[in-house]
Amino acid sequence: MQKPLFELKGVYKRILKNINLEIYKGDRVMLFGPSGSGKSTLLHLFNRLHDPEKGNIYYNGDSIDNYDIPKLRKNIGLVLQQPHLFPETVEDNLKYGPSLFEEWEQEWVNQLLDYVNLPKSYLKKSVDELSGGEKQRVSLARTLANKPEVLLLDEPTSALDDQNIERIEEVLMRLITTKDLTVIMVTHNIEQAKRLGTKGIFLQNGGVREEGLLPQMLDRPKTEELKKFTTNI
Amino acid sequence: MDRDVSNFSLLVLIVFVMIPFTISYFYQLGLKKDILWSSIRGALQLFLIGLILTYLFNLEPMIGIPIMLSVMIIIATFHARKKGKELPNVFLTILSGLIVIEIFVLALWLGFDMVSFTPEEIIPMSGMVIGNSMVAMGLSLERMKSEFSTNQGKIIAALSLGATPKQASHLSVRRTLNAALIPNIDQLKTIGLVQLPGMMTGLILGGVEPIVAIKYQLVISISIFSTVSVSAIIVSLVMYRFFYNENMQIVDLDERQNKNG
Repeated sequence: MQKPLFELKGVYKRILKNINLEIYKGDRVMLFGPSGSGKSTLLHLFNRLHDPEKGNIYYNGDSIDNYDIPKLRKNIGLVLQQPHLFPETVEDNLKYGPSLFEEWEQEWVNQLLDYVNLPKSYLKKSVDELSGGEKQRVSLARTLANKPEVLLLDEPTSALDDQNIERIEEVLMRLITTKDLTVIMVTHNIEQAKRLGTKGIFLQNGGVREEGLLPQMLDRPKTEELKKFTTNI
Repeated sequence: MDRDVSNFSLLVLIVFVMIPFTISYFYQLGLKKDILWSSIRGALQLFLIGLILTYLFNLEPMIGIPIMLSVMIIIATFHARKKGKELPNVFLTILSGLIVIEIFVLALWLGFDMVSFTPEEIIPMSGMVIGNSMVAMGLSLERMKSEFSTNQGKIIAALSLGATPKQASHLSVRRTLNAALIPNIDQLKTIGLVQLPGMMTGLILGGVEPIVAIKYQLVISISIFSTVSVSAIIVSLVMYRFFYNENMQIVDLDERQNKNG
């Protein structure tokens, strides 16, 4: 029997109350729920940007507290809602993670731009010259530069227009299918969750109200709360 | 200097105070109280310090100087810590920083015979160094808090990529140091051109040869330049750590302050 990649047991943090979850390698988990339901807080627990006030988180069967924090964060990459790019150039951003661990290779950086559908000429471009969608793609590439095993995505398309959402989704889909990545993504967009996810977790008031396989879970919600959420969106 | 400022002349200074007071009144700046209070307080403080200095100058230098320096350092610490009271250990950092700076400066001054160990020379010159360091530390604290608040997203992004707090704070620390050093560099560039520095003016008014006054001014200006840089570095390199907890997570300063009461 496959062991869970992540296991959360009785986790409490801020609004989150008694979260029990299992996430397996290769899962594409979509976290959704109303604003303030604790989605981002939950996401940040996976790479220790937050720690639980109570309860335990296990990664590969071992308590997450036993891992070296920088290495853990390298393996469990996070893409934030806003790109928050570093000065000056695109290349500086892509080099940032690998240079922290002295694993910097030019060839790999060139490939990263391919992954996110940006031309190589962008390497020397200042981040101030990029559009919103391009910035988010650079942010995604910056996280991928660390070759993470798990990709955490905190509403990466929420600030983008439809055309850019489509582009980012294309990039994500290609990455998910070609790379052996486990994805945990916060999204407000139900259709996006159906397109990208294999499993769904519906959070409300800090608790898991419903979880299941996608898209079935969203097409036939079991709880009244999820029904309401899907119809109100 | 044989001349003295008469008591009547001092009273006339009220005219100078009334100018900003009137501006505040007409433009409703709400600063009338502050202007009056700071003028009265400043005048009283100066007279009081005059009395204290007269007393200390009559004591043995080995007694008078350490007493006065300790008082100045403690007052400067209390004042500078106001800018970062949400941060833990801020009092201790500033206090030890100012002590280190003062020892370093005294060692240079006395070791190379730039200044003699008399209260008349050590106390006013140390006052300038401590005062400027206090301002630099306060400004660095304020700047650092604003850098951490403005760049929080970038810092979280860096941490999430595996950066240590030191690496994640690099940009904010660099900007804090820049902000603390640039005004100093500019001031040193225009020294004597835009305004005659205070110490030199005082010495010339006291009847000292301008070239001698300039030598003293150089000693104090370069000392201030160096100690202000050291102050900013001490604050930046020590205090950034308190924006994180032991698990390399950004801490909520307000939350921590509330917890600590």
